[in-house]
Parts: sequence; structure tokens; C-alpha cells
Amino acid sequence: MDVNTKKLKKNAFRVTKERGLAASRVRVPGGRMDAKYLKDIQDIANEFGNGTVHLTIRQGFEIPGIPYEKMPEVNKRLQPIIEGLGINQEDPDTGYSSSGTRNIMACVGNTICPYACYDTTEFARKMEKTIFPNDLHVKVAFTGCHNDCCKVRMHDFGIIGMSMPEFDPNRCISCGACVKRCSRKSVGALEMVNYRPVRNEEKCLGCGECVLACPNMAWTRSTKKLYKLTLLGRTGKKNPRLGVDWIKWVDEESILKIVANVYAFAKEYIDPTAPGGKEHIGYIVDRTGVPEFLKYILKDVELNPEAEVTSPLYWSGIKYGSTEP
Amino acid sequence: MGYKLNEREFNQLLGELSEKYLIYAPKVFVGKGRFSDTDCIRYDKVKNVEDMELSLKSQYSFKEVLNPVSETLFYFTEDSVKEADMPRNKGAIIFLRSCDLHAVERMDEMYLNNGPKDYYYKRLRDNIHFVLIGCSKAFDSCFCVDMGTNKSDNYDIGLNVREDGYELDVKWDEAKDILGKMAKENSLKEEDVTVDFVKETTTRVSIPKNLSYDVSKSKIWEEYAGRCINCGRCNFVCPTCTCFTMQDVYYDANGKVGERRRVWASCMVDGYTDVAGGGSYRKNNGERMRFKTLHKALDYRNRTGYNMCVGCGRCDDICPEYISFSNILNKLDTAMKEVSANG
Amino acid sequence: MAKEVTKNEYVPFLSEIKEVIKHTDIEYTFRMTYEGDVKPGQFFEVSIPKYGEAPISVSGIKDGLIDLTIRRVGKVTNEVFEHYEGDKLFLRGPYGNGFDVEEYKDKELVVVAGGTGVSPVRGVIQYFADHDNQRKDMTIITGFKSDKDILFKKDFEYWRQKMNVILTLDAGIETKDHKIGLVTQYIPDLKLADVEKAVAIVVGPPAMMRFSVKALLERGFKEENIWISQERKMCCGIGKCGHCRIGDKYVCLDGPVFNYTQGKNLVD
Repeated sequence: MDVNTKKLKKNAFRVTKERGLAASRVRVPGGRMDAKYLKDIQDIANEFGNGTVHLTIRQGFEIPGIPYEKMPEVNKRLQPIIEGLGINQEDPDTGYSSSGTRNIMACVGNTICPYACYDTTEFARKMEKTIFPNDLHVKVAFTGCHNDCCKVRMHDFGIIGMSMPEFDPNRCISCGACVKRCSRKSVGALEMVNYRPVRNEEKCLGCGECVLACPNMAWTRSTKKLYKLTLLGRTGKKNPRLGVDWIKWVDEESILKIVANVYAFAKEYIDPTAPGGKEHIGYIVDRTGVPEFLKYILKDVELNPEAEVTSPLYWSGIKYGSTEP
Repeated sequence: MGYKLNEREFNQLLGELSEKYLIYAPKVFVGKGRFSDTDCIRYDKVKNVEDMELSLKSQYSFKEVLNPVSETLFYFTEDSVKEADMPRNKGAIIFLRSCDLHAVERMDEMYLNNGPKDYYYKRLRDNIHFVLIGCSKAFDSCFCVDMGTNKSDNYDIGLNVREDGYELDVKWDEAKDILGKMAKENSLKEEDVTVDFVKETTTRVSIPKNLSYDVSKSKIWEEYAGRCINCGRCNFVCPTCTCFTMQDVYYDANGKVGERRRVWASCMVDGYTDVAGGGSYRKNNGERMRFKTLHKALDYRNRTGYNMCVGCGRCDDICPEYISFSNILNKLDTAMKEVSANG
Repeated sequence: MAKEVTKNEYVPFLSEIKEVIKHTDIEYTFRMTYEGDVKPGQFFEVSIPKYGEAPISVSGIKDGLIDLTIRRVGKVTNEVFEHYEGDKLFLRGPYGNGFDVEEYKDKELVVVAGGTGVSPVRGVIQYFADHDNQRKDMTIITGFKSDKDILFKKDFEYWRQKMNVILTLDAGIETKDHKIGLVTQYIPDLKLADVEKAVAIVVGPPAMMRFSVKALLERGFKEENIWISQERKMCCGIGKCGHCRIGDKYVCLDGPVFNYTQGKNLVD
């Protein structure tokens, strides 16, 4: 059997431990799709695979047990899903065009969850359109609020939904529900002064709990959508760590540009001898230093006026096998 | 006198009226709902019919026009008091539905009849005109028919919103004059108009005739001790809830210059019954629910002869814990049977 | 027809503090200037700088002066009180029905009062101390927490000369001036010529009132001859704000004094 494993990996198939059999990796950007595609996945698993489907950690389906020779047929059968989910594809009927940049994940977002500050899937789909197909190893995830159900801090770029609270003193009835809620469930950024809440802007996370708690709509959310962007979280065998807060109250346009800029940086500095030609973005930054990285990703980005940038940035985490102090 | 107006003509009428009156109507506040990317429908000053939301129920009632959420009563220094100016420099026109027009009667009763007249309410209540929005059918949570509030006659203008225009039944001379003038200038259609009113609702409510304070002993209230979160939303959206609390606010550290204001209060929220020295009544949310329910369905009736609740259903719509007030009212009969059986 | 003018009930007037009488560390009587009709048991809304407005019952009435006994239950210290002497406070009122002394004339009268509950009823006691020919036998049973909490100490000397006085404390050591125990324990032994016609006034904390009324009824008092005064959060004083409502009664309008036949139906 002669199979180009490099090519099939890029085509979103996995070389499995069972000789002769691949697994098809169907990714769902933003984690939401029409239920009708489940039928397509079911059919592929039954007709080409071993009848099982694995729900992946990155919001995809992995269909194992596919003979390598069946890959072109499977790709054809994936076409309705790829089109339906708005995947950027180079040629029709050829399956997924890349797999290095990982599926863009999202929590359920505000189409379902009361806490979410935006439609995470919609933003994830915009990001898909912006950065795919791209085969460099980059992970992006979207979460609706600071609860971070999507674990975006374990990604290179984590987008956390925020709500800029706006207070109308004329609707406040001094019940103190917001102050109590903020201190019990969030950061305690509110205190009662002269019968009305005063917000500590530095402390405020933009979690939206005050808006949820307010019984009379004295607290509402700004109509402008703003987010928190976290940087360079990762897992792995060298130095797993959580991403750190980089820009607070940043807008959608800036985020899309920043993430798109990462590829020019990676192309410039990636280690050509890296195993499999792949190097995790965070480890590239470990070599270049953070300022060089920031210079690349902020190229042509004009941050919105509300944006607050944290500088300098420090990460912690576990360092395995390091000889450094 | 009835007219059928198109949108331009209706706006012309509103435009002329707005020279002397502020116009208040339900409005969609986009993105200003409790959850992100949701809207809130509440009252605001409007200029034309495009600003209004006339097909959906407002989440908050008209009452804030007559009884502001927070109202400064006067400013004080150490030895002087200066009355706050009237918040509005014109008369006002309020667009509302039949249940709410009945709620105006309840507000008037509380502020103008229960004890001495309330000065601040009176000055906002004077020179108010009502446009009754006809209801061709009830919303899910409405129970106006059972509360007897589905029909109103004491409006200045009655309004049916139709696909092809606006039907007006006009009882108010100022509006009649404007429309008369418009009729001469344009081909304004004069026709008989009867304001729509709801004849049946899907939510039905029956309050037992023999309802008495004995119902306080019923076990039905215990359920709400656990379910209710005493947030007060039901009170704030209610067009007949009128409670307030006084607040003194000092502008300087030594407390000699400041203002006194009154702010909406809720019998469900902590602090409502606090007396000096730390005591309070009705600590349990079940007791608070009983207190509120009996006010709407018994206490007020004992004083006036008619029920306070107008059946608008806003409290049902807003409750984050899905507590249905109409369902509580419907439990009162069983509750009365329970307490009489227990002697 | 003249345009109807609505009085602004919310705007207070200034009243001068003529004297401050200290009863305890936290309870002072402010003797204030006031010209106008006022009955014992009525109350004023008193604005205390940095404190807000509070309903304070009239504890004494005399020649253009009213007594307002204020209990300090916050951080504010005695020095603040000192500072006020000769100063002015904002008042509005009087509000509420108050006690009608006509109801008690030519009858045997028992007053049961606990703690600050003595304030609203002090005017009634004082009236019948001054006019002992207008009543039959009179007994007052007053309870305080401890020796330090006794209000109107000087008045007690005068009252003892005019009527039967039982002063009891929750704790401490019995002396010739006071007993130890609850007010309710003296009710069964009340000596009355005709309990069916005797009248009683009960004022104090909710539990004390409940048990005192119970004891009075057991002693043979008729419901219609018992009067109670309710303390609630009276915020506006004119039946608007809702805080003091109990059932279909507004304490500020219909009370604070209720005949027990009405008061017994009030469920908080």
C-alpha cells in the first residue's frame, strides 16, 4: 500500500494505529450545525467506517475505520457538510483543505446561554472565513463570558465575551442586587454609594452579572460589542500554561486582523527542521521574544478607543525537562 | 368621531399635538434587554409612530410616566428647602392598552384618594391625555377579561392599528380640531370606529368570593419561600404597584446640603419593612408573596370595592423563576378550602 | 371656581430644639417647638441630618412644645446629640390618628408598655396623671431591658404619686423601684372593680403586645376595650408609600392606634 501520509493529514484524515485504516476528521466551526448533517455523518460511518463516531474535544466528529482507498469517496460525501458549515475550501468534492490550524471552537453562546455576551458561533464562523484554509498550527476559541466554559485560555488566541455595563441612575431602585451579585459571583467591582452602585472600572470584568441581576434595567449592556483577547495558552509536553489577558474591551475588527496576522509571523520564524514541519506558535514566540510577536500581530491594527492593552506580559505554567532555572 | 389615517396623516396629527404635549409610548430599546442581544420594550418619549411598538406588550408599564422610578422632591440646606421643579414642562399623551388605563384608576386611587392628595403625583397627572391602543387579541399571559379590565371608555383617542392604517375614535376636542382641519385640506376618511377589545383570554383567573385573611394560614405560600428570589421584578413591571422609599442624599461630607428623593420600592425586596433598631416583618419570601397577592386580590378591594390587579400578566412574563401570578390567584380557592377544612 | 391647590405634604418645616433630655445612652427626648393640634400617639417625620427621615411618635405635648423621643440605633454617637441642642430639625406632621383620651375617661384604665413603646403612650399617662378626676383607678405596667434602659425616670416619680405603677426589668436585681420579670406576669393579678368595663392600652414590641393582649383577654377584658399602637416603617406618613400597610390598613392613616377588634385581624 502506498499512501502519502503528509497529504492525507493535511486533508483532515488521521493515520490511525490500525494499518490500512484512516479516520475522517469532520470539524464544525463554532460548534453548531443543522441537525440534518448528523445523518450524513451517520451514513459515512456506516458505509465507509466501522459504524462508530468519536465526538472530538474540539467540536468535531472523527469517523474511524475508513480504508485509505475510500478517502476520495468520503470527501465527496463530506461536501454537503463542508458547504453547509461554510468551510473555506480550495476545490469542491476534495474534503477539508487544511488541518494544521485547528477547528475554531465556541461555547453555546448567547443564542442559548443567558450568561453569554455574544453569538460565539457567528464570530467563530467569521474567524473561519478569515484564517482558513491555513495549515499552520494555531488554535483559536471563543467563549461567551468569563466563565470560560470553552477553556479559551488553553488556546493561542482566546476570545472572551464582555458586556460594558451602562448605568442609568434614573432607573435604579437601590435594591443592591447588582452589588450583591457582583461580590458573590464575580469580582466585587460594585459598591453602594449614596444609595446607588458605583463601578470600579479597573476591577470590572464585563461579565454582565449586574445586568442580569438588575430588576429594573438600570444596568444594561453597551450596544457596541467588546471582548477580551487572551494570548498563548497551550498544552503539550514542554510548557503547558494558561493564556494571559492581553487586550480588554477590544472590538471584533481588531481581533480578526490580529489573528490573521499570526501567519506571517509563523511563516517568518517557524523552525524549518521542526518535526513534521509543524511548530506550535507559542514555542516560536519563546524563541523570537514577545515584542517581535506583538509587532507582527499588531501590524495595520488600529485598536478601538476602548481597548486596554496589558504590557508587559508574563506567563507561568509547568516547565517539563527544562534545565533553565 | 372616527377617522381612518395613513401613517403620514397619523404622524401629522402626532406632530401637531406634540407642540403642546410630550408623547409617551412603548418603544423597543434595541439590545437593552436583560440578556445580550435581546431588546426591552418600555415607555419613552416618542416623536412619531415609527418610534412606537404598538403590536407587542411592553415589559414595563406606563406608570413611570406618572410616577418616575426616582423623583427628586426637594433640595435642602441646613435651614431651607427648595421644591424640585416639575420634571415635565408640557402636558403629556400616553399610549396604553385597556388593562393599563384601568391601572391609571388604581394609581389615582392610591395617590389622590388614599389619604391626602400626593402633590408630586398630582402635578404629573394633570394635563394627561390617553390614547387607548385597541387589543384585537390577548397575549398569552393576559387575563383582563376575568379582571374586568378588558374594556375602557375613558380615553381621549381610541386607536386600532390596521395593516393599511390607523383607525381613530376621537373624543378629545383638541385632536378633533386638528383632524377637522386635516379633513378639509386632505381627503381624510371619516368613518365609524369602535376600539378593539379582548373578549377572551387563554389564561383564565378566578378569585374566590369568600377570600379572607384566613388564607394566610394556607400551605400554598410555603412553595414560594423556596422558589421566589425576592428580586422585585413583579412589582416593578406591575402597573398598579406604587410603593416608594424616601432617600436623603447629601452632596457634601458634613451632610448639610442635599436632596430628598423618592424611589420605587418593592414589598418583595429586602429592607421594605425594616424598622429602626433592626426589626423587620415578612422575612420569608412565601410571606412576601402572600402579602403581595392579597394586596392585589383582597386588601385593596376591601378599601375600594374592586380588585387592584388588572390582569396585564407582566409579572408572569418577567419572573426569572417562572412563578405565575395568575396561577397563584387560581390556587386561592383551594387554599381557602384547605384552611376552612383545618378549622 | 378657584383652582384646587394641593398641599405639598412632603416639604418639612423647621423646628427648634429647646431641650435635649437624656434617658439612656441611646435614647434622648428632643423638646421641639410646634404650634398646632397634636394628640399623643401621633407621629412626626423627623429629618435628622445624615440619617434621613424617621417616624417618631409624640411622647409629650405642652404649650407650643412637643417631645420626640428618639432612639439612636446606629453609629452616631452622643456627641452628635449634644451638638443639636439649640439647633433646628426639619419636621412634618403630625400624622396618624393618635390616642383619643375621650375613649378612656371615667373608666378603669390599664396601660401596658414595653421599651420605647412608652413614648407614644406617655402623653396619655401624663394627661390622666394631671386629670385624675377624669378617670377611675389607673395602673401602668412598664417593662424595660435593664436599669440602664429606663425611659422617663423623672416622670415615674410623679406617676407613682398619681396611679399604680409597676416597673419591671428583664434582668437585674429587684429593688423598691422596680421588679424583675415580664410585663405579662402582672396582668392576671390586676385588681379591677369591673373588668368588663375597664379599658387597656398596649404598646411595645410585637411579641410583647401579642402576649399582653392574650393575658388581658384571659383576665376578662373585652376586645373592644383594648387599644394597641403599631410600629411600622412609616415612610411617607400619608398613605402612599405602602411600607406600613398591614392587610387593608395603613398604619400611618388608619393607625398607629387600633382598637383590638380591628387590630387582631392584621396579618403582617
